[in-house]
Amino acid sequence: MRKFSEQFCRKSDTYFCVDKSVTAVVIKGLAEHRETLGAPLCPCRYYEDKEAEAKQGFWNCPCVPMRERKECHCMLFLTPDNDFAGKDQTITLDEIREVTANV
Amino acid sequence: MCIEYITIAALFAVAIEVKPWNAVPSVTEETWKSLVLESDLPVMVEFWAPWCGPCRIVQPVIDELSKEFAGKLKVFKVNTDESATIASDYGVRSIPTVIIFKNGEKKEAIIGAVPKSTLTSSIEKFL
Repeated sequence: MRKFSEQFCRKSDTYFCVDKSVTAVVIKGLAEHRETLGAPLCPCRYYEDKEAEAKQGFWNCPCVPMRERKECHCMLFLTPDNDFAGKDQTITLDEIREVTANV
Repeated sequence: MCIEYITIAALFAVAIEVKPWNAVPSVTEETWKSLVLESDLPVMVEFWAPWCGPCRIVQPVIDELSKEFAGKLKVFKVNTDESATIASDYGVRSIPTVIIFKNGEKKEAIIGAVPKSTLTSSIEKFL
């Protein structure tokens, strides 16, 4: 999911959050969902039935609002004009491990 | 005697160190009715999930507000992975969602990582 996120950032001309811990947590959440549900379901929503949502696909990353309007409420992909946008389109495995070790 | 005081002081230091994590208590399906619906004071509840990035931005703000409005507002958090029924009952979709309750009724929902001033304005309407 880390590589995917970096590639999609470049492709969509968006940036990671200035607080990389936000990015790290979301990437880890996406990876967990891909492992348990078979699809990278957005971890910033509540679903009554995660399996059905993952199958339906609307909230699988990159979700429809992101693909259509560059709206990522999870703050993984931020447009340059967003107050929280940083300057990076990359994140290291170590950064992700460091933040998510105690979650 | 002196050693006892040092030990107690050390325990308090540990408690203070641990405290920020637990600054805002959790509410569960078992405690929802008594802590939220039957509260004499208005209640603000933050719905969060462990892998939600924006929740990390909102949580320190919620902690601050719980201290600033102590005695006027009760503040709790709900882990939507653990208390799915509550999230379903109140139509929570995006996380984080903050809901303000008064007299057992949902009054206002604020969605996403909003500035502290937005939450403060919403709270003040119901005090």
